Amino acid sequence: MEKDILVRMQEDLERALKKPAEKRRWVMLLDTRKCTNCNACSVACASENKLPPKMWYRPVFEIEQGKYPNIKRLSLPKPCLQCDNPPCVAACPVKGADGATWKETKGIGNGVVPVNYAKCIGCAKCVPACPYTARTMDNGAFHTAGTPELMKYETVASFEYGKNWPRQGKNQPIGNVRKCHFCMHRLANGMLPQCITSCICRMGYFGDENDPESLVAQVIKANRAKIQILKKEKGTKPRVYYLGNIDLKAFHGYF
Amino acid sequence: MADDNKKQKNGVSRRDFLRTSALVGCGALVASQLDFAQGLIARVEAGELTPFEAYELMKAENTLYTVCLNCNTGCGIKVKIMEGVAVKVDGNPYNPFTLHPHIPMKEDLDKAAKIDGAICPKGQAGHQGAYDPYRIRKVLKRAGKRGEGKWMSVPFDQAVSEIVNGGMLFAHVPGEEMRHVAGLKEIMALRDPAVFDEMGKDIASLRKKKTPEEKKKAVEEFKVKHAANLDKLIDPDHPDFGPKNNQFVYWWGRKKGGRADFAKRFTEQFGTVNTHGHTTVCQGSLYFACKAMSEQYVGDTFKDGQKFYWQPDTENSEYILFVGSNLFDANYGPPNRTPRLMSRLVEGKVKITVLDPRFSKLAAKGNRWVPVKPGTDAAFAMGMTRWILENKQFDAKYLANCNKAAATADKETTWSNGPWLVKLDKDGKPGAFLRASEIGLKDKETRKDKDGKDFTFEYLVAMKDGKPVPFDPNDEKEAVEGELFVTRELTDKEGKPVKVKSALQVMLETSQEKSIAEYAKICGIEPKVIEDVAREFTSYGKKAAVDVHRGPAQHTNGFYNISSLMNLNLLVGNFDWTGGMIAASTFNVDGTKTDKQPFNFKKITPKAPKAFGLSIIRHDAKYEESTLFTGKESYPAKRNWWPLSSDVYEEILPSMADAYPYPIKAVFSYMGTPAYSLPAGHTMIEALVNLERIPLYFANDITIGTTTMYADYVFPDFHYMERWEMQGSHPNMPVKVQPVRQPVIASPNEVVKVFGEEQPISYETLWLALAEKLGIAGFGPDGFAPGQPLTRPDDFYVRMVANLANDGKEPVPDASQAEIELFLKARRHLPKSVFDADRWQRISGGNWAKVVTVLNRGGRFDTQEASYKGDHVANKYGKQINLYQEKTYKVKDAFTGKHYLGMAKYVPIADTLDRPPVEQSKGYDLHLITQRDVKMCKSRTITNQYLTDLMPENAIIINTVDAKRLGLKEGQKVKVVSATNPEGVWDLKNGTKKPMVGKVKVTETIRPGIVTFTLGHGHWATGAADVLIDGKLIKGDPKRAGGIHANAAMWIDPHLKNTCMIDKVGGSVSFYDTKVRLVKV
Repeated sequence: MEKDILVRMQEDLERALKKPAEKRRWVMLLDTRKCTNCNACSVACASENKLPPKMWYRPVFEIEQGKYPNIKRLSLPKPCLQCDNPPCVAACPVKGADGATWKETKGIGNGVVPVNYAKCIGCAKCVPACPYTARTMDNGAFHTAGTPELMKYETVASFEYGKNWPRQGKNQPIGNVRKCHFCMHRLANGMLPQCITSCICRMGYFGDENDPESLVAQVIKANRAKIQILKKEKGTKPRVYYLGNIDLKAFHGYF
Repeated sequence: MADDNKKQKNGVSRRDFLRTSALVGCGALVASQLDFAQGLIARVEAGELTPFEAYELMKAENTLYTVCLNCNTGCGIKVKIMEGVAVKVDGNPYNPFTLHPHIPMKEDLDKAAKIDGAICPKGQAGHQGAYDPYRIRKVLKRAGKRGEGKWMSVPFDQAVSEIVNGGMLFAHVPGEEMRHVAGLKEIMALRDPAVFDEMGKDIASLRKKKTPEEKKKAVEEFKVKHAANLDKLIDPDHPDFGPKNNQFVYWWGRKKGGRADFAKRFTEQFGTVNTHGHTTVCQGSLYFACKAMSEQYVGDTFKDGQKFYWQPDTENSEYILFVGSNLFDANYGPPNRTPRLMSRLVEGKVKITVLDPRFSKLAAKGNRWVPVKPGTDAAFAMGMTRWILENKQFDAKYLANCNKAAATADKETTWSNGPWLVKLDKDGKPGAFLRASEIGLKDKETRKDKDGKDFTFEYLVAMKDGKPVPFDPNDEKEAVEGELFVTRELTDKEGKPVKVKSALQVMLETSQEKSIAEYAKICGIEPKVIEDVAREFTSYGKKAAVDVHRGPAQHTNGFYNISSLMNLNLLVGNFDWTGGMIAASTFNVDGTKTDKQPFNFKKITPKAPKAFGLSIIRHDAKYEESTLFTGKESYPAKRNWWPLSSDVYEEILPSMADAYPYPIKAVFSYMGTPAYSLPAGHTMIEALVNLERIPLYFANDITIGTTTMYADYVFPDFHYMERWEMQGSHPNMPVKVQPVRQPVIASPNEVVKVFGEEQPISYETLWLALAEKLGIAGFGPDGFAPGQPLTRPDDFYVRMVANLANDGKEPVPDASQAEIELFLKARRHLPKSVFDADRWQRISGGNWAKVVTVLNRGGRFDTQEASYKGDHVANKYGKQINLYQEKTYKVKDAFTGKHYLGMAKYVPIADTLDRPPVEQSKGYDLHLITQRDVKMCKSRTITNQYLTDLMPENAIIINTVDAKRLGLKEGQKVKVVSATNPEGVWDLKNGTKKPMVGKVKVTETIRPGIVTFTLGHGHWATGAADVLIDGKLIKGDPKRAGGIHANAAMWIDPHLKNTCMIDKVGGSVSFYDTKVRLVKV
C-alpha cells in the first residue's frame, strides 16, 4: 500500500534539500475539505516554538453556513502565508539586506518571510500591516505563570531559525514580533513543518513546488483550477494555497 | 564516555553535527549570509555552538517512545527530552495509531526519531499534565471535614500504617473525635484459603436452591456447618454476602493492562469481590450488548461472552453508518481513524451516513446526515431491519449457516443463530432455544472438556427441507444450514405441541410490530430516509458496516439500541471481512500464551483464596438467587442486579450509601472521578460525605481532584509519562499491537522506601506498601519466587515486556549493542529510583536485548501487510455471534420480575420501574445531551494550558430556533435546571454550591429542541479551587473553573433516588434522556 503522506512528503523534502536552494520553491497547500478544526497543528506549533499564551502561529477558524438541516461546517487553518509580496516587510522600519524582516531568497529559508529577532525593535508596525493577522507581539507571558510554580519546560530553549532561544528573563524573542516560519529549523534537518506532521486529517501538503515528483506539486497540478488564494485582491502572492468546497472568502472577516 | 562528556561541555562536535544532519541537511545548506541554518554550520565549525543550538529534538538519544493517556485512545507517542524535561510530544511512527501505514519495527531509531507521527491536540499538550503546578507530591491527609479543602501532608509510612491498622484517625477533626475507623487488617478477616473454598462452594449451591424456603434451610445448614467462622462473615443470616473482606472496595476510572494486573495480584490475595471499573459511564451497554452477542453455546448453555465490541475496518469499508459515534472528536480515536477515512471520503471511495442530533464534525464531512431524536436509535435500526428482511436484502447464505462447518464452507469465519429454532411460551413470546432432546430428535451427550472433565452436551435444532435437524454449533465437520424463516409446531417427547420460530422469524415479526412510518415518527424523520439508508447499507456487500459508540449506548434503552444496530451487521454478514466489522487484537504480556514467554504470571503468582459473595454492585448475580429474594413480594428490588454487566460505575457509591446489599468499611479509588463524570454526579458527593456508610476513603490521584477532594487520604500517583502500563488496542485497529507505556521522565513525587527499596510514591508503591504491612503473599523480596523480588514497579513490568517480546511465532529481534547504548543514553535523565539498567537487565534474564528492542519502540506492533489475508482481516473474531440472545432472555428484571427480551427492539426511555419520564419532563422544554470536543477529554485535560488557552470555556449549544423562542442571544449566560435539580447547582456539600451557568452558543448545527455542551470544563477542584495544605493557602487557577459542567442537571431515577437513570440491562448510565430548561442569569 502507499506510504502515509507524511512519510512520502518527508522523502520529497529530502530530495528537495539536495537541490540548490534557489531551485526550490517551498509551498504549502491546505485542503480544507479534510480539516476538522482539531487544532492539533495549533498546539504542535505552539509547543515546538514555545509560544506564550494566546499566541498562535497557526490558528484554525470555523464557520457554519446555511439553515438547519441544510448546513455546512468548514474550518480553515491559517499559518503565515509567506507572501512573495509581503506588506509586513514594507511596514518594517528596519530595512535592508540586514534588516529585521524580509523575503528570503537564499538558503534553506528561501521563500520564507523570517524575523531577525536581533534586529527587530519591537515597534509592532508590521502587525497591522499583515492582511492575514499572521504577526503577534511576544509579551513574555508563560502558561504556568500565576500558578504555584513556573515550569521548566516553558523556559528551555526553542529552536526557531536554527538558533537557541531560552525563554528566560527578557531574552529574545520576548518583546519581538513573532510569526510562522515554515519551521525552517526542521526543514534544515529534513523534517516537515510541525503543522504538517501533526495533522491527523492529512489536510496539509508541503514541499518543493518546482519538483514535479513531489506530492505537493502533484496535488496542486491535479487541482489547479480549484486552488484558492486568501485575499487574492491584496496582491500579496502567498506561498500557502487552499482547496475547499466553498468559496473561502467566507473566512475573510475572521482575520 | 570521556569523549561524550567533553562534547556535553564544549558543544556538539562538528563531526557529530554533520552526522546527524548528514542524511539530507548539508547539501541543502548553501552559502547565504542571511541563512540562519548556514550560520549554524559556521558556528559549529568555530566551536561556538552549544549542544542545544543544534536541533536536539531530532536526535534518537533525546527521543523516548511511550503511550499517551490524555484520552483512552492511547496513541503511541514520542517524547522529546531536553535538560531532563519533556518539551515536545509527537506521534510514535512505529505505532499504527499515528501513521498509516506505520513504519515497521525493523526501521532504525535514527530514522524514526526524525519521523513525527500525527497525534491530536490533547496528546500534543500532554506534558503540561505532567508539569502541572497543582500536582500533589506527598501524601495528604484530611485536616478538616470531607470536602472542606483542608489537608496536612503526612509521611507515606504513617498514612499506610493508619489505613492498615485503623483507629481514631480523625480525632483532630471536629465532630470525629470519637470516630473509630476499621483498618484493612481488621477487614481482611478471613485468611484461610480452605475456608474460602468450602464456604464459596456452599454459597454457590445455596444460590441454586429453587424456593425461598429451600434457601432458608440452606442458610441454617450453612450456619451450623461453618459455625466456627461465622464471625468472619458480613452477616451470618445472609452468608451469600460473603466474608468481611468484601467490605474493602477498590474501584478505578482509567486503568489499563499491567496496572490492572498489579492491583489484581493484591486484591485476589486480600479476598474481596469488590473491584470495580468504570465502563458504564463510557459506553457500558455497548460492551455488554456485544458480550451478550458473543456468548458461546457451551454444553447446554451460553457462556464465555467477551466484554468487548466490534468496530468497522475503517480503511476498507465502502459504506459506514455511524450512529452516535463521533470519530473526529472522540471514539478511539481521531489520530488513528481519521487518516483511514478522510482522504477516501473526499475522493468518494467511501460513503457515510451519520445518525446524530448534532451536525457533528463527522456529519459535516458525511454524505448524509440524519438528525434523529436522542434515544430513538433502535427505532431507526428496527425500521431498517424490517425493510432489509421484507425486501430480502440480507446475506441469505451467511444467515443460513447454523454452525462452524457450514460457515467455513462459505469462507465465513463467523456465523449467527438466525436459523436456530426458538421455543415460544403460551403467549407466543420467544424464550429459550429448542434443544434436540426435547423433541426426541437427538439425545443429550456426555462429552469431555479440555481438562478431561465430563459435561452435558445438548444438540440444538434448525429446520431443513421442512424437517427439524439437530446440530452442534461448534461442529467443524458436519455442516448444517437451516431455513431462515420458520414458524412451526413440533411435538415433544410426550406428544405435546411445541411451538417454535427461527430466530430470524422472531426478528422479522419483532421488526413488524411497527411500520417504517411509525419508526420514522419516533425518530422524528421522514420514512423514506430509513428506506434509503437501508438500501444503501445493503448495496456494498460485506464492505458496509454500522459503527456505534456512546451515542446509542448511554440511554436507558442503550442495550437494545446497540443490539439492534449490531444485528444489522449480522444481516449483511460482515464480521471479519475486509471493510466489515473487526475486533481488537493484542500481543500477550502475562506470559500465558506461548511456551517461549519467559514469565508465566500464572505460575509466578501464589494461589489466591477464591473470593466469594455478592459484590456491592451485585454484578454476575441474579436477584432471585440471593437470600434477599423471598418471592414475588421482593419486586421491585431496592436497587438493580446485574447478571449481564459488570463495572457498573453508577452503582458503586450509591450502593454503599444504601448499604445494599451490605455496609462497607473501606474504599480505595484510582484515577476516576465519578462525581464529575457521572450523570447526576452530585449524588456521588452525597455518598462520599457519608462518614457512617463510607468510614474510610483513600485515593490515588495526581491532583486533589473533583472526587478525591472528598478522600481521607490522597496518595500522589505518577503522570502517564512517568509510569508503566500495557495500553492494548481498540476494535477499529486491524493491526495486532501492544503499545507499552514506560517511564520517560522523572516523577516529582516524594521518594519513599518500601520493602527497603527507594521509589517515588505511586500507585504501585501504595499497593506494595499495603502488601508489606498486611503480609500479603506474592509481594516482597521473594514475591515472584525465592530470591525473585517484587518490591518495585519495574520488577513487574519488565517481566511483562520480556513476555511481550517473546509472544507470537517469532520473538522480536535482539537490539544491537549500539541500540542498547542508545537505550541507556536516552534514559540518562532518569534517576536510579526510576531507571536502574542493571536491575532491569537482571529482571529480564536472557531477554534483555529483546526488552530493549520493544522499549526502544514503545511497544510491539505487527506490520500493516500482516494485518490482512485476502478478503479477510488477519486477526479474526472467528466465532458464533448471537442474533437472538437466550442468556439475556433468561434474566429477570429485578424491578418487575419480567424476563428481559432475547430479541432486540425499540424500547422507549423509562425509569427503573418502566415508567416513561412524563412527570419530570413537564415544564422542561429542551432535551439535554452532551458531546466531546477533541480538545478535551472528560476530566483530566483541564490541567493542560495549551488546551484551555484554545478553549477557555465551553458553551450551552442550542439551535437558532430555540434561541429565538427563548429570547437568548449568543454569549448570554444561562443556568441549566431540571426536575431533579431545579436549583441548577452542584451542591459540593462543603458549603459551596456551584451554579451550572454557561454561555449560550447559537447554531444551526443541532436539531431544534436539543441542547448540548462539551465535556471537560466547569471543574470545582483539580487545581480550580483554593486549598489549605499544612496551613498554607494554595490559590486555585480560575482558568480551570471556566465553562459549565451540566451533568448535575441529568435526571435522578425516581425509584433509586440517589442515582442517575440507568439502563437496567446493559448498565449504561443515561446521559442523553433528560429534559431541562435554560434560565437567564
